[in-house]
Amino acid sequence: MTIAAIATLTLHEMLRRRLILVAAILTVFVAILTGFGFHALATQMYHGAPLSQVRVIGLTAQLLTLVAYMFSLVFALGGAFAAAPTIASDVDTGLLLPMLTRPIRRVEIVLGKFLGLALFLSAYAFACGLVEFAVVRIATGYWPPHPFVALGYLCGVAIVMVSVTLLFSSRLSMIASGIAAVVLFGLAWIVGIAADIGGGAHNQAMVDAGTISQLVLPSDAFWRAAVYHLEPAALVASLHGSSPFAVAAPPPPAMIAWAIGWIVVVVGCACWSFATRDF
Amino acid sequence: MPPASADLAIDVAHLAKSYRDLVAVADLSLAIARGETFGFLGKNGAGKTTSVKMLLGLTKPTSGTGTLLGKPLGDRGARAKVGYLPELFRYHDWMTAREELAFHAGLAGVAHADRPRMIAEILDMVGLTRRANDPIGTYSKGMQQRVGIGVAVLGKPDLVFLDEPTSALDPVGRRDVREMVRALKERGVAVFLNSHLLSEVEQMCDRVAIVDRGRIVASGKLADVIGGAVGVRLRLGDPSESALQILRGYGAVSITGEWHVVTGADREAVPALIRELAAAGAAIYAIEPLKATLEERFMEVMTA
Repeated sequence: MTIAAIATLTLHEMLRRRLILVAAILTVFVAILTGFGFHALATQMYHGAPLSQVRVIGLTAQLLTLVAYMFSLVFALGGAFAAAPTIASDVDTGLLLPMLTRPIRRVEIVLGKFLGLALFLSAYAFACGLVEFAVVRIATGYWPPHPFVALGYLCGVAIVMVSVTLLFSSRLSMIASGIAAVVLFGLAWIVGIAADIGGGAHNQAMVDAGTISQLVLPSDAFWRAAVYHLEPAALVASLHGSSPFAVAAPPPPAMIAWAIGWIVVVVGCACWSFATRDF
Repeated sequence: MPPASADLAIDVAHLAKSYRDLVAVADLSLAIARGETFGFLGKNGAGKTTSVKMLLGLTKPTSGTGTLLGKPLGDRGARAKVGYLPELFRYHDWMTAREELAFHAGLAGVAHADRPRMIAEILDMVGLTRRANDPIGTYSKGMQQRVGIGVAVLGKPDLVFLDEPTSALDPVGRRDVREMVRALKERGVAVFLNSHLLSEVEQMCDRVAIVDRGRIVASGKLADVIGGAVGVRLRLGDPSESALQILRGYGAVSITGEWHVVTGADREAVPALIRELAAAGAAIYAIEPLKATLEERFMEVMTA
Protein backbone atom coordinates (compact mmCIF):
# COMPACT_ATOMS: atom_id res chain seq x y z
CA MET A 1 0.00 0.00 0.00
CA THR A 2 2.86 2.38 0.81
CA ILE A 3 4.38 1.78 -2.64
CA ALA A 4 1.05 2.75 -4.22
CA ALA A 5 0.82 5.84 -1.98
CA ILE A 6 4.33 7.01 -2.97
CA ALA A 7 3.66 6.26 -6.68
CA THR A 8 0.41 8.25 -6.47
CA LEU A 9 2.27 11.07 -4.74
CA THR A 10 4.84 11.12 -7.57
CA LEU A 11 2.13 11.24 -10.25
CA HIS A 12 0.14 13.80 -8.28
CA GLU A 13 3.20 16.03 -7.99
CA MET A 14 3.82 15.90 -11.75
CA LEU A 15 0.20 16.81 -12.37
CA ARG A 16 0.24 19.70 -9.86
CA ARG A 17 3.55 21.02 -11.09
CA ARG A 18 1.97 21.13 -14.58
CA LEU A 19 4.56 18.74 -16.01
CA ILE A 20 1.80 16.66 -17.58
CA LEU A 21 0.14 19.79 -19.03
CA VAL A 22 3.42 21.01 -20.53
CA ALA A 23 4.16 17.54 -21.94
CA ALA A 24 0.68 17.39 -23.50
CA ILE A 25 1.00 20.84 -25.08
CA LEU A 26 4.44 20.01 -26.52
CA THR A 27 3.14 16.69 -27.88
CA VAL A 28 0.29 18.44 -29.68
CA PHE A 29 2.72 21.07 -30.99
CA VAL A 30 5.12 18.40 -32.35
CA ALA A 31 2.21 16.41 -33.83
CA ILE A 32 0.87 19.46 -35.69
CA LEU A 33 4.34 20.43 -36.95
CA THR A 34 5.28 16.93 -38.14
CA GLY A 35 1.74 16.50 -39.56
CA PHE A 36 2.37 19.43 -41.90
CA GLY A 37 5.69 17.90 -42.90
CA PHE A 38 4.28 14.44 -43.64
CA HIS A 39 1.33 15.98 -45.49
CA ALA A 40 3.77 17.94 -47.68
CA LEU A 41 5.74 14.76 -48.36
CA ALA A 42 2.62 12.94 -49.53
CA THR A 43 1.11 15.71 -51.63
CA GLN A 44 3.94 17.77 -53.09
CA MET A 45 4.86 17.35 -56.76
CA TYR A 46 8.34 16.16 -57.69
CA HIS A 47 9.40 16.83 -61.30
CA GLY A 48 5.78 17.45 -62.22
CA ALA A 49 4.33 14.31 -60.63
CA PRO A 50 3.45 13.19 -57.11
CA LEU A 51 5.55 10.52 -55.43
CA SER A 52 4.24 6.96 -55.77
CA GLN A 53 2.51 5.54 -52.69
CA VAL A 54 5.31 2.98 -52.31
CA ARG A 55 7.90 5.80 -52.28
CA VAL A 56 5.80 7.86 -49.83
CA ILE A 57 5.52 4.89 -47.47
CA GLY A 58 9.26 4.21 -47.68
CA LEU A 59 10.21 7.81 -46.96
CA THR A 60 7.55 8.15 -44.25
CA ALA A 61 8.84 5.04 -42.45
CA GLN A 62 12.38 6.46 -42.40
CA LEU A 63 11.24 9.93 -41.32
CA LEU A 64 9.01 8.42 -38.64
CA THR A 65 12.10 6.73 -37.22
CA LEU A 66 13.74 10.16 -36.95
CA VAL A 67 10.68 11.54 -35.16
CA ALA A 68 10.72 8.49 -32.87
CA TYR A 69 14.39 9.18 -32.19
CA MET A 70 13.56 12.70 -31.12
CA PHE A 71 10.90 11.27 -28.80
CA SER A 72 13.28 8.63 -27.44
CA LEU A 73 15.71 11.42 -26.47
CA VAL A 74 12.85 13.22 -24.74
CA PHE A 75 11.87 10.04 -22.87
CA ALA A 76 15.47 9.20 -21.92
CA LEU A 77 16.42 12.70 -20.80
CA GLY A 78 12.96 13.16 -19.26
CA GLY A 79 13.54 9.95 -17.28
CA ALA A 80 16.90 11.25 -16.05
CA PHE A 81 15.65 14.75 -15.20
CA ALA A 82 12.50 13.47 -13.49
CA ALA A 83 14.35 10.82 -11.46
CA ALA A 84 17.41 12.89 -10.46
CA PRO A 85 15.63 15.13 -7.92
CA THR A 86 13.09 12.58 -6.77
CA ILE A 87 15.29 11.18 -4.00
CA ALA A 88 18.40 13.40 -3.93
CA SER A 89 16.53 16.70 -3.75
CA ASP A 90 14.02 15.34 -1.23
CA VAL A 91 16.94 14.26 0.97
CA ASP A 92 18.83 17.55 0.57
CA THR A 93 15.80 19.68 1.45
CA GLY A 94 14.77 17.45 4.36
CA LEU A 95 11.43 16.60 2.76
CA LEU A 96 12.00 12.87 3.25
CA LEU A 97 13.00 13.00 6.93
CA PRO A 98 9.50 13.06 8.47
CA MET A 99 8.40 10.40 5.96
CA LEU A 100 11.30 8.09 6.85
CA THR A 101 10.31 8.13 10.53
CA ARG A 102 6.91 6.66 9.66
CA PRO A 103 6.39 2.90 10.01
CA ILE A 104 7.39 2.23 6.39
CA ARG A 105 10.32 0.53 4.70
CA ARG A 106 12.77 2.73 2.82
CA VAL A 107 12.56 0.23 -0.05
CA GLU A 108 8.89 1.17 -0.44
CA ILE A 109 9.84 4.80 -1.07
CA VAL A 110 12.28 3.85 -3.85
CA LEU A 111 9.86 1.37 -5.45
CA GLY A 112 6.97 3.84 -5.20
CA LYS A 113 8.97 6.58 -6.88
CA PHE A 114 10.20 4.15 -9.56
CA LEU A 115 6.67 2.96 -10.22
CA GLY A 116 5.27 6.51 -10.40
CA LEU A 117 7.97 7.70 -12.80
CA ALA A 118 7.81 4.55 -14.95
CA LEU A 119 4.02 4.82 -15.19
CA PHE A 120 4.16 8.51 -16.08
CA LEU A 121 6.86 8.08 -18.74
CA SER A 122 5.20 4.97 -20.21
CA ALA A 123 1.81 6.70 -20.41
CA TYR A 124 3.53 9.71 -21.96
CA ALA A 125 5.40 7.51 -24.48
CA PHE A 126 2.22 5.70 -25.54
CA ALA A 127 0.21 8.92 -25.75
CA CYS A 128 2.87 10.73 -27.79
CA GLY A 129 3.53 7.74 -30.01
CA LEU A 130 -0.11 7.01 -30.78
CA VAL A 131 -0.88 10.68 -31.48
CA GLU A 132 2.11 10.85 -33.83
CA PHE A 133 1.23 7.58 -35.59
CA ALA A 134 -2.36 8.80 -36.04
CA VAL A 135 -1.14 12.08 -37.54
CA VAL A 136 1.16 10.18 -39.93
CA ARG A 137 -1.69 7.85 -40.89
CA ILE A 138 -3.96 10.81 -41.69
CA ALA A 139 -1.22 12.64 -43.62
CA THR A 140 0.27 9.74 -45.58
CA GLY A 141 -1.81 6.60 -45.02
CA TYR A 142 1.20 4.87 -43.38
CA TRP A 143 0.84 2.91 -40.15
CA PRO A 144 3.95 1.22 -38.69
CA PRO A 145 3.89 -2.59 -38.56
CA HIS A 146 4.18 -3.09 -34.77
CA PRO A 147 3.39 0.26 -33.13
CA PHE A 148 2.58 -1.06 -29.66
CA VAL A 149 5.66 -3.27 -29.47
CA ALA A 150 7.81 -0.36 -30.66
CA LEU A 151 6.30 1.96 -28.06
CA GLY A 152 6.84 -0.69 -25.39
CA TYR A 153 10.55 -0.71 -26.22
CA LEU A 154 10.62 3.10 -26.18
CA CYS A 155 9.21 2.88 -22.65
CA GLY A 156 12.15 0.58 -21.96
CA VAL A 157 14.56 3.40 -22.91
CA ALA A 158 12.86 5.72 -20.39
CA ILE A 159 12.70 3.06 -17.67
CA VAL A 160 16.40 2.22 -18.05
CA MET A 161 17.20 5.90 -17.51
CA VAL A 162 14.82 6.17 -14.53
CA SER A 163 16.43 3.10 -12.94
CA VAL A 164 20.04 4.20 -13.28
CA THR A 165 19.24 7.79 -12.25
CA LEU A 166 17.36 6.57 -9.16
CA LEU A 167 20.41 4.50 -8.24
CA PHE A 168 22.64 7.60 -8.49
CA SER A 169 20.01 9.74 -6.75
CA SER A 170 19.95 7.39 -3.75
CA ARG A 171 23.45 8.56 -2.82
CA LEU A 172 24.54 11.52 -4.98
CA SER A 173 23.25 15.07 -5.27
CA MET A 174 20.52 15.90 -7.76
CA ILE A 175 22.88 17.57 -10.25
CA ALA A 176 25.51 14.82 -10.02
CA SER A 177 22.83 12.14 -10.53
CA GLY A 178 21.33 13.83 -13.58
CA ILE A 179 24.68 14.56 -15.20
CA ALA A 180 26.05 11.05 -14.53
CA ALA A 181 22.96 9.44 -16.07
CA VAL A 182 22.98 11.68 -19.17
CA VAL A 183 26.72 11.13 -19.72
CA LEU A 184 26.20 7.36 -19.51
CA PHE A 185 23.31 7.61 -21.96
CA GLY A 186 25.37 9.68 -24.43
CA LEU A 187 28.30 7.30 -24.12
CA ALA A 188 26.10 4.27 -24.81
CA TRP A 189 24.59 5.98 -27.86
CA ILE A 190 27.99 6.96 -29.33
CA VAL A 191 29.45 3.50 -28.70
CA GLY A 192 26.37 2.06 -30.45
CA ILE A 193 27.11 4.17 -33.55
CA ALA A 194 30.79 3.17 -33.38
CA ALA A 195 29.70 -0.48 -33.30
CA ASP A 196 27.58 0.09 -36.45
CA ILE A 197 30.61 1.59 -38.18
CA GLY A 198 32.72 -1.31 -36.89
CA GLY A 199 30.15 -3.78 -38.30
CA GLY A 200 30.40 -2.17 -41.75
CA ALA A 201 34.22 -2.20 -41.57
CA HIS A 202 34.28 -5.80 -40.21
CA ASN A 203 36.04 -4.58 -37.05
CA GLN A 204 35.07 -7.09 -34.36
CA ALA A 205 36.58 -5.03 -31.52
CA MET A 206 34.23 -2.13 -32.28
CA VAL A 207 31.27 -4.49 -32.53
CA ASP A 208 32.20 -6.03 -29.18
CA ALA A 209 32.46 -2.55 -27.64
CA GLY A 210 28.89 -1.91 -28.78
CA THR A 211 27.70 -5.16 -27.20
CA ILE A 212 29.48 -4.38 -23.92
CA SER A 213 27.98 -0.88 -23.96
CA GLN A 214 24.49 -2.35 -24.39
CA LEU A 215 25.15 -4.71 -21.49
CA VAL A 216 26.29 -1.85 -19.24
CA LEU A 217 23.42 0.49 -20.16
CA PRO A 218 20.78 -1.25 -22.27
CA SER A 219 18.97 1.91 -23.42
CA ASP A 220 20.48 1.52 -26.92
CA ALA A 221 19.27 -2.11 -27.11
CA PHE A 222 15.70 -0.99 -26.36
CA TRP A 223 15.99 1.83 -28.90
CA ARG A 224 17.15 -0.52 -31.67
CA ALA A 225 14.36 -2.98 -30.85
CA ALA A 226 11.87 -0.09 -31.10
CA VAL A 227 13.25 1.04 -34.47
CA TYR A 228 13.09 -2.49 -35.87
CA HIS A 229 9.41 -2.76 -34.98
CA LEU A 230 8.66 0.57 -36.64
CA GLU A 231 10.23 -0.46 -39.96
CA PRO A 232 8.12 -2.09 -42.70
CA ALA A 233 9.42 -5.45 -43.96
CA ALA A 234 10.37 -3.96 -47.35
CA LEU A 235 12.63 -1.41 -45.70
CA VAL A 236 14.29 -4.07 -43.51
CA ALA A 237 14.89 -6.22 -46.57
CA SER A 238 16.65 -3.36 -48.37
CA LEU A 239 19.08 -2.63 -45.52
CA HIS A 240 22.71 -3.79 -45.83
CA GLY A 241 23.82 -2.76 -42.35
CA SER A 242 22.48 -1.10 -39.22
CA SER A 243 22.60 2.46 -37.95
CA PRO A 244 20.75 4.10 -35.08
CA PHE A 245 18.04 5.07 -37.56
CA ALA A 246 17.80 1.90 -39.65
CA VAL A 247 18.09 -1.47 -37.94
CA ALA A 248 18.51 -4.58 -40.10
CA ALA A 249 18.04 -7.07 -37.24
CA PRO A 250 16.58 -6.60 -33.75
CA PRO A 251 18.72 -7.19 -30.67
CA PRO A 252 18.65 -10.92 -29.80
CA PRO A 253 16.01 -12.02 -27.23
CA ALA A 254 18.83 -12.72 -24.78
CA MET A 255 19.80 -9.03 -24.92
CA ILE A 256 16.21 -7.95 -24.25
CA ALA A 257 16.01 -10.43 -21.36
CA TRP A 258 19.30 -9.03 -20.06
CA ALA A 259 17.92 -5.48 -20.34
CA ILE A 260 14.81 -6.37 -18.32
CA GLY A 261 16.92 -8.21 -15.74
CA TRP A 262 19.26 -5.19 -15.68
CA ILE A 263 16.37 -2.92 -14.70
CA VAL A 264 15.37 -5.28 -11.89
CA VAL A 265 18.94 -5.46 -10.56
CA VAL A 266 19.60 -1.70 -10.82
CA VAL A 267 16.32 -0.83 -9.06
CA GLY A 268 17.23 -3.45 -6.44
CA CYS A 269 20.62 -1.78 -6.00
CA ALA A 270 18.89 1.61 -5.65
CA CYS A 271 16.66 0.13 -2.91
CA TRP A 272 19.66 -1.35 -1.09
CA SER A 273 21.69 1.84 -1.46
CA PHE A 274 18.85 3.98 -0.06
CA ALA A 275 18.00 1.52 2.71
CA THR A 276 21.55 1.41 4.05
CA ARG A 277 22.48 5.09 3.88
CA ASP A 278 22.62 7.56 6.76
CA PHE A 279 20.65 10.78 6.84
CA MET B 1 14.46 0.67 41.21
CA PRO B 2 14.89 2.17 37.73
CA PRO B 3 11.93 1.70 35.37
CA ALA B 4 11.99 -1.31 33.04
CA SER B 5 12.95 -0.69 29.42
CA ALA B 6 9.32 -1.09 28.28
CA ASP B 7 8.28 1.77 30.59
CA LEU B 8 10.82 4.05 29.04
CA ALA B 9 10.20 6.06 25.91
CA ILE B 10 13.93 6.14 25.19
CA ASP B 11 16.56 3.86 26.69
CA VAL B 12 19.95 3.93 25.01
CA ALA B 13 23.45 3.08 26.18
CA HIS B 14 26.76 4.31 24.82
CA LEU B 15 25.52 5.32 21.38
CA ALA B 16 28.32 6.67 19.22
CA LYS B 17 28.59 7.90 15.66
CA SER B 18 31.75 8.65 13.72
CA TYR B 19 32.25 9.73 10.14
CA ARG B 20 35.78 8.60 9.31
CA ASP B 21 37.90 10.75 11.66
CA LEU B 22 35.05 12.99 12.76
CA VAL B 23 33.32 11.98 15.98
CA ALA B 24 29.77 13.37 15.84
CA VAL B 25 28.54 11.60 18.98
CA ALA B 26 31.11 10.09 21.36
CA ASP B 27 28.94 8.51 24.05
CA LEU B 28 25.22 8.97 24.50
CA SER B 29 23.35 7.19 27.26
CA LEU B 30 19.79 8.28 28.03
CA ALA B 31 16.75 6.96 29.84
CA ILE B 32 13.60 9.01 29.30
CA ALA B 33 10.32 7.93 30.84
CA ARG B 34 7.01 7.89 29.02
CA GLY B 35 5.21 11.17 29.59
CA GLU B 36 8.40 13.04 30.38
CA THR B 37 9.39 16.28 28.64
CA PHE B 38 13.12 16.18 28.05
CA GLY B 39 15.31 19.07 26.93
CA PHE B 40 18.44 18.29 24.92
CA LEU B 41 20.80 21.24 24.85
CA GLY B 42 24.12 22.00 23.28
CA LYS B 43 26.03 24.33 21.02
CA ASN B 44 25.84 24.08 17.24
CA GLY B 45 27.77 20.99 16.15
CA ALA B 46 27.59 19.40 19.61
CA GLY B 47 25.94 16.27 18.18
CA LYS B 48 22.29 16.97 19.04
CA THR B 49 20.77 16.38 15.61
CA THR B 50 22.94 13.31 14.96
CA SER B 51 21.78 11.94 18.32
CA VAL B 52 18.13 12.48 17.37
CA LYS B 53 18.69 10.85 13.98
CA MET B 54 20.26 7.81 15.64
CA LEU B 55 17.33 7.52 18.03
CA LEU B 56 14.91 7.72 15.09
CA GLY B 57 16.79 5.13 13.04
CA LEU B 58 17.69 7.66 10.34
CA THR B 59 21.40 7.22 11.05
CA LYS B 60 23.01 3.96 12.07
CA PRO B 61 25.13 4.21 15.24
CA THR B 62 28.77 3.21 14.93
CA SER B 63 28.37 1.50 18.30
CA GLY B 64 25.94 1.24 21.19
CA THR B 65 22.45 -0.11 21.57
CA GLY B 66 19.07 0.96 22.79
CA THR B 67 15.32 0.89 22.58
CA LEU B 68 12.61 3.31 21.56
CA LEU B 69 9.22 2.65 23.18
CA GLY B 70 10.58 -0.74 24.25
CA LYS B 71 11.64 -1.81 20.76
CA PRO B 72 15.10 -1.80 19.15
CA LEU B 73 16.21 1.45 17.50
CA GLY B 74 14.91 1.63 13.92
CA ASP B 75 12.07 -0.84 14.58
CA ARG B 76 9.09 -0.11 12.31
CA GLY B 77 6.55 -0.96 15.01
CA ALA B 78 8.00 1.68 17.33
CA ARG B 79 7.97 4.27 14.54
CA ALA B 80 4.18 3.94 14.30
CA LYS B 81 4.03 5.76 17.65
CA VAL B 82 6.73 8.36 17.04
CA GLY B 83 6.39 11.88 15.64
CA TYR B 84 9.24 14.04 14.37
CA LEU B 85 9.68 17.70 13.50
CA PRO B 86 13.13 18.12 11.89
CA GLU B 87 15.21 21.24 12.45
CA LEU B 88 15.29 21.88 8.68
CA PHE B 89 11.64 21.23 8.01
CA ARG B 90 10.25 21.07 4.50
CA TYR B 91 6.92 19.77 3.25
CA HIS B 92 5.41 19.30 -0.21
CA ASP B 93 4.92 22.92 -1.30
CA TRP B 94 2.37 21.93 -3.95
CA MET B 95 0.15 20.19 -1.38
CA THR B 96 -2.29 21.86 0.96
CA ALA B 97 -1.80 21.43 4.71
CA ARG B 98 -4.84 19.15 4.76
CA GLU B 99 -3.38 16.98 1.99
CA GLU B 100 0.04 16.81 3.68
CA LEU B 101 -1.56 15.67 6.93
CA ALA B 102 -3.72 13.14 5.03
CA PHE B 103 -0.62 11.80 3.27
CA HIS B 104 1.22 11.35 6.58
CA ALA B 105 -1.89 9.84 8.14
CA GLY B 106 -1.74 7.19 5.41
CA LEU B 107 1.95 6.52 6.04
CA ALA B 108 1.33 6.39 9.80
CA GLY B 109 -1.39 3.78 9.29
CA VAL B 110 -4.24 5.90 10.68
CA ALA B 111 -7.58 4.26 9.81
CA HIS B 112 -9.40 5.91 6.88
CA ALA B 113 -12.48 6.57 8.97
CA ASP B 114 -10.48 8.41 11.65
CA ARG B 115 -8.52 10.66 9.30
CA PRO B 116 -10.95 13.57 8.63
CA ARG B 117 -11.68 14.14 12.34
CA MET B 118 -8.03 13.72 13.37
CA ILE B 119 -6.81 16.09 10.65
CA ALA B 120 -9.45 18.71 11.53
CA GLU B 121 -8.37 18.54 15.21
CA ILE B 122 -4.71 18.95 14.34
CA LEU B 123 -5.37 21.84 11.95
CA ASP B 124 -7.27 23.53 14.73
CA MET B 125 -4.53 22.81 17.26
CA VAL B 126 -1.77 24.32 15.08
CA GLY B 127 -3.98 27.22 14.02
CA LEU B 128 -4.15 26.43 10.31
CA THR B 129 -7.85 25.67 9.82
CA ARG B 130 -8.45 28.87 7.84
CA ARG B 131 -5.56 28.19 5.43
CA ALA B 132 -5.90 24.39 5.38
CA ASN B 133 -6.84 24.25 1.70
CA ASP B 134 -4.10 26.58 0.41
CA PRO B 135 -0.84 25.18 -1.00
CA ILE B 136 1.95 25.01 1.60
CA GLY B 137 4.16 26.92 -0.88
CA THR B 138 2.06 30.00 -0.16
CA TYR B 139 2.62 29.78 3.62
CA SER B 140 5.03 31.86 5.69
CA LYS B 141 7.97 30.03 7.30
CA GLY B 142 6.16 30.07 10.64
CA MET B 143 3.03 28.54 9.11
CA GLN B 144 5.13 25.83 7.49
CA GLN B 145 6.61 25.06 10.90
CA ARG B 146 3.07 24.76 12.23
CA VAL B 147 2.39 22.19 9.47
CA GLY B 148 5.50 20.34 10.66
CA ILE B 149 4.31 20.36 14.26
CA GLY B 150 0.94 19.04 13.05
CA VAL B 151 2.67 16.25 11.13
CA ALA B 152 4.75 15.40 14.22
CA VAL B 153 1.74 14.98 16.52
CA LEU B 154 -0.38 13.12 13.94
CA GLY B 155 -1.47 9.57 14.73
CA LYS B 156 -1.53 9.82 18.54
CA PRO B 157 2.22 9.31 19.07
CA ASP B 158 3.69 8.16 22.39
CA LEU B 159 6.95 9.98 21.72
CA VAL B 160 7.50 13.23 19.83
CA PHE B 161 10.87 14.65 18.77
CA LEU B 162 10.79 18.41 18.28
CA ASP B 163 14.03 19.82 16.85
CA GLU B 164 14.00 23.60 17.34
CA PRO B 165 10.19 23.70 17.15
CA THR B 166 9.87 27.47 17.55
CA SER B 167 12.75 28.64 15.33
CA ALA B 168 10.39 30.24 12.77
CA LEU B 169 7.54 31.17 15.10
CA ASP B 170 6.46 34.55 16.46
CA PRO B 171 5.80 35.02 20.21
CA VAL B 172 2.18 33.86 19.81
CA GLY B 173 3.35 30.74 17.98
CA ARG B 174 5.92 30.05 20.69
CA ARG B 175 3.29 30.28 23.38
CA ASP B 176 1.08 27.91 21.33
CA VAL B 177 3.92 25.38 21.14
CA ARG B 178 4.48 25.59 24.90
CA GLU B 179 0.79 24.94 25.48
CA MET B 180 0.83 22.08 22.99
CA VAL B 181 3.82 20.46 24.71
CA ARG B 182 2.00 20.74 28.03
CA ALA B 183 -1.09 19.15 26.46
CA LEU B 184 1.05 16.30 25.10
CA LYS B 185 2.53 15.78 28.57
CA GLU B 186 -0.96 15.63 30.07
CA ARG B 187 -1.81 12.89 27.56
CA GLY B 188 1.26 10.93 28.68
CA VAL B 189 3.29 11.64 25.56
CA ALA B 190 7.06 11.86 25.97
CA VAL B 191 8.57 14.91 24.29
CA PHE B 192 12.23 15.13 23.29
CA LEU B 193 12.96 18.80 22.76
CA ASN B 194 16.03 20.17 21.02
CA SER B 195 16.17 23.89 21.43
CA HIS B 196 18.56 26.80 21.58
CA LEU B 197 15.93 28.85 23.36
CA LEU B 198 16.92 27.96 26.89
CA SER B 199 14.14 30.00 28.48
CA GLU B 200 11.63 27.83 26.64
CA VAL B 201 13.35 24.62 27.72
CA GLU B 202 13.24 25.97 31.26
CA GLN B 203 9.49 26.53 30.98
CA MET B 204 8.64 23.20 29.35
CA CYS B 205 11.05 20.48 30.42
CA ASP B 206 11.13 18.15 33.43
CA ARG B 207 14.68 17.07 32.80
CA VAL B 208 17.52 18.30 30.62
CA ALA B 209 20.86 17.10 29.32
CA ILE B 210 23.61 19.36 28.07
CA VAL B 211 25.74 17.83 25.36
CA ASP B 212 29.16 19.05 24.26
CA ARG B 213 31.43 17.50 21.65
CA GLY B 214 29.23 14.42 21.46
CA ARG B 215 29.11 13.74 25.21
CA ILE B 216 26.58 14.56 27.90
CA VAL B 217 28.33 16.95 30.27
CA ALA B 218 25.41 17.68 32.60
CA SER B 219 22.02 16.04 33.03
CA GLY B 220 19.23 15.62 35.50
CA LYS B 221 16.08 17.29 36.74
CA LEU B 222 15.88 20.89 35.65
CA ALA B 223 16.19 22.20 39.23
CA ASP B 224 19.23 19.99 39.88
CA VAL B 225 21.00 21.07 36.72
CA ILE B 226 20.34 24.73 37.39
CA GLY B 227 21.35 24.34 41.03
CA GLY B 228 20.02 26.06 44.13
CA ALA B 229 19.78 29.71 45.02
CA VAL B 230 22.81 31.86 44.30
CA GLY B 231 21.81 34.72 46.55
CA VAL B 232 19.11 36.94 47.94
CA ARG B 233 18.08 40.42 46.93
CA LEU B 234 16.39 42.94 49.20
CA ARG B 235 14.73 46.33 48.80
CA LEU B 236 15.47 48.26 51.97
CA GLY B 237 14.49 51.77 53.03
CA ASP B 238 17.77 53.72 53.52
CA PRO B 239 19.69 50.95 55.40
CA SER B 240 21.91 51.90 58.32
CA GLU B 241 25.56 50.81 58.57
CA SER B 242 24.53 48.13 61.10
CA ALA B 243 21.97 46.72 58.63
CA LEU B 244 24.61 46.60 55.90
CA GLN B 245 26.94 44.85 58.33
CA ILE B 246 24.28 42.19 58.88
CA LEU B 247 23.97 41.71 55.12
CA ARG B 248 27.75 41.32 54.77
CA GLY B 249 27.55 38.56 57.35
CA TYR B 250 25.53 36.50 54.84
CA GLY B 251 27.61 37.12 51.70
CA ALA B 252 29.10 39.65 49.32
CA VAL B 253 26.87 42.72 49.05
CA SER B 254 26.35 44.71 45.89
CA ILE B 255 23.78 47.27 44.82
CA THR B 256 21.76 46.92 41.59
CA GLY B 257 19.31 49.77 41.17
CA GLU B 258 17.19 49.91 44.29
CA TRP B 259 18.13 46.33 45.24
CA HIS B 260 20.80 45.15 47.64
CA VAL B 261 22.07 41.80 46.34
CA VAL B 262 23.65 39.37 48.82
CA THR B 263 25.52 36.80 46.76
CA GLY B 264 26.07 33.50 48.56
CA ALA B 265 23.04 33.68 50.87
CA ASP B 266 20.74 30.74 50.29
CA ARG B 267 16.97 30.36 50.61
CA GLU B 268 17.25 28.79 54.08
CA ALA B 269 18.97 31.88 55.45
CA VAL B 270 16.11 34.23 54.55
CA PRO B 271 14.05 33.97 57.81
CA ALA B 272 17.08 34.58 60.01
CA LEU B 273 18.20 37.47 57.81
CA ILE B 274 14.78 39.10 58.09
CA ARG B 275 14.74 38.68 61.86
CA GLU B 276 18.20 40.26 62.25
CA LEU B 277 17.40 43.17 59.93
CA ALA B 278 14.08 43.82 61.68
CA ALA B 279 15.83 43.77 65.06
CA ALA B 280 18.31 46.33 63.71
CA GLY B 281 15.38 48.56 62.72
CA ALA B 282 15.81 48.19 58.96
CA ALA B 283 12.75 48.85 56.78
CA ILE B 284 12.30 45.78 54.52
CA TYR B 285 10.03 46.39 51.50
CA ALA B 286 10.85 43.22 49.53
CA ILE B 287 13.08 40.17 49.67
CA GLU B 288 13.50 37.32 47.22
CA PRO B 289 15.94 34.45 46.69
CA LEU B 290 17.89 34.59 43.42
CA LYS B 291 18.34 31.47 41.26
CA ALA B 292 20.64 30.89 38.34
CA THR B 293 18.87 30.61 34.98
CA LEU B 294 19.35 27.64 32.70
CA GLU B 295 21.16 29.97 30.35
CA GLU B 296 23.68 30.91 33.06
CA ARG B 297 24.17 27.25 33.96
CA PHE B 298 24.51 26.36 30.26
CA MET B 299 27.17 29.04 29.73
CA GLU B 300 28.97 27.89 32.85
CA VAL B 301 29.09 24.29 31.59
CA MET B 302 30.14 25.32 28.10
CA THR B 303 32.99 27.49 29.30
CA ALA B 304 34.21 25.04 31.96
